[in-house]
Amino acid sequence: MTTDAERLTVVTAASPGRRRLFSILAHIVLIGVSIIMLYPLLWLLAASFRPENEIFTSGVSIMPSVNWSFDSYFRGWNGLRIGFGQLFINSFVISALSVIGNLIACSLAAYAFARLEFAGRRFWFAMMLMTLMLPYQVTLIPQYVLFLNLYWVNTILPLVVPKFLAADAFFIFLMVQFFRGIPRELDEAARMDGAGPWRIYWKIMLPLSTPVLATAAIFTFIWTWDDFFGPLIYLSDLRQYTVMLGLRTFTDNTGMSDYGGMFAMSVLSLVPIFVFFLLFQRLLIEGIATTGMKR
Amino acid sequence: MATQVDISSNGTGRVASPSFWSGVWQNHAPGYLFLLPWLIGFLGLTIGPILTSLYLSFTDFDLLTAPDWVGTDNYVRMFTNDPKFAASMRVTFVFVIFSVPLKLAFALGVALLLNRGMKGLPLYRALFYLPSLLGASVAIAILWRQIFAGNGLVNQFLANFGIQGPSWISNPNYSLWTLIILAIWQFGSPMIIFLAGLRQIPQDMYEAASLDGAGKWRQFWKITLPMLTPVVFFNAIIQTIEAFKSFTPSFIISAGTGGPINSTLFYTLNLYNEAFGFFRMGYASALAWVLLAIVALFTAFSFLTSKYWVHYDD
Repeated sequence: MTTDAERLTVVTAASPGRRRLFSILAHIVLIGVSIIMLYPLLWLLAASFRPENEIFTSGVSIMPSVNWSFDSYFRGWNGLRIGFGQLFINSFVISALSVIGNLIACSLAAYAFARLEFAGRRFWFAMMLMTLMLPYQVTLIPQYVLFLNLYWVNTILPLVVPKFLAADAFFIFLMVQFFRGIPRELDEAARMDGAGPWRIYWKIMLPLSTPVLATAAIFTFIWTWDDFFGPLIYLSDLRQYTVMLGLRTFTDNTGMSDYGGMFAMSVLSLVPIFVFFLLFQRLLIEGIATTGMKR
Repeated sequence: MATQVDISSNGTGRVASPSFWSGVWQNHAPGYLFLLPWLIGFLGLTIGPILTSLYLSFTDFDLLTAPDWVGTDNYVRMFTNDPKFAASMRVTFVFVIFSVPLKLAFALGVALLLNRGMKGLPLYRALFYLPSLLGASVAIAILWRQIFAGNGLVNQFLANFGIQGPSWISNPNYSLWTLIILAIWQFGSPMIIFLAGLRQIPQDMYEAASLDGAGKWRQFWKITLPMLTPVVFFNAIIQTIEAFKSFTPSFIISAGTGGPINSTLFYTLNLYNEAFGFFRMGYASALAWVLLAIVALFTAFSFLTSKYWVHYDD
């Protein structure tokens, strides 16, 4: 029998050497995984600067070509009849409007669920949670018929208006979680001073909620930017196309394929997301982490 | 009643005679006003369409002429006489059954490595998360097509060892696996959720266990995994539903066909083709309802069985 003190020394004494070995091995594994994961992205970047005839002859290299140039970017940019510039503008408009819609509509609903008392609140909250799990295919066709009858097909309205009606329930959920963490004493104090629900929402809740609002804004932007299915269904006129639809046309032209241009525009399409990632990765990671937590 | 409507907001500070209806209005109206945009959306864009789609699933509907009631024909045809439906079910189930557990296992493995106070954790975490953030993009699907093409990155790599690889995306034996690998590549977001969950496990449990002589392996099975089951459960549900709904990669990689020989015909892609390729809106609605039934059954099954394997300490 050993004493607790002895056991403790055994446990800790055995550690440092093994711990360092483990740590080195772990770093090797992690660096290996990082390389495998990032390699395709680096290859894409390198390929977008290569002359067309070098793209498939330079093997797996991610080193920049000695003949590197922006040719692919110029070709890709002017590849579609109207140019990719218009597509970027379209995508930005749709994404920006979606951000505004989601921030307004989701925060209003979240405030009602988190703070206001009214008949049926629990029922509506349960309904909202149910829509989180609902596959969008179930509402797809009637929605399409509805928008068709409103003459909204081939406009951006079917992509944007639902955001102003808080159709992205995920963000309501995220905001409810955050609002519940704001001390109720603040609302009580404001109510004592005669503030109604609207002023409490506007002057207290929203200013204190910038982290969750920013998270919602960034995710909305990225998801809308990346959205392919919505634009695929609702936009058929080239002038209305988003960047994602434009990229897809590269894969359609089976006969003449401009790989350089396709890669260059793929890189450009990822740039806004990458910028958000660089600027706000902490916010994004915390946003993801909190949704998975119990509280 | 008419005299009592407006008294609540006369602003004089006098207490108006408390009437039942003004009380109701004061107590419930603000809630519903704040909820209004969502409520309109919920009724007009969710509940209305759900019921409509249920009705349409029993009709023939081509968008141009009025829906034509056909009873359960759509459902009968689906299960008895539609090879594409059968293929899409098989493809989707294979995709879900392989991509979700592999992705979660990978996410958990890396999270466990990172959780041991590794130097550079923020950097690794950010690098691993990047593919999750970019992965939904058409650009990544295009890149994937290129990586696994006949002259793509993978085969150029294999050529260094004298191996002549097949064209992975145009070979029905491998094409689905390129999509499964694409899903696993995006293990970053469940990994972050695992990391957050690991951090919630009290350290003193490990100290107590190691004093009792439990090795790392035992600690993992007896402490880490049980304590992490709520997070595993959450991740499994979210990832499974996402996997069932996956569309863009199969559309881009197969150029919308689900080929070769239906080997990448995801359920959602088949539904899209039925609805917007052949304009069989009634049939596509029935497909949507079967998808809903599958997702609902899976979710209900998970919640019912969860009490046997998910550990809740409070």
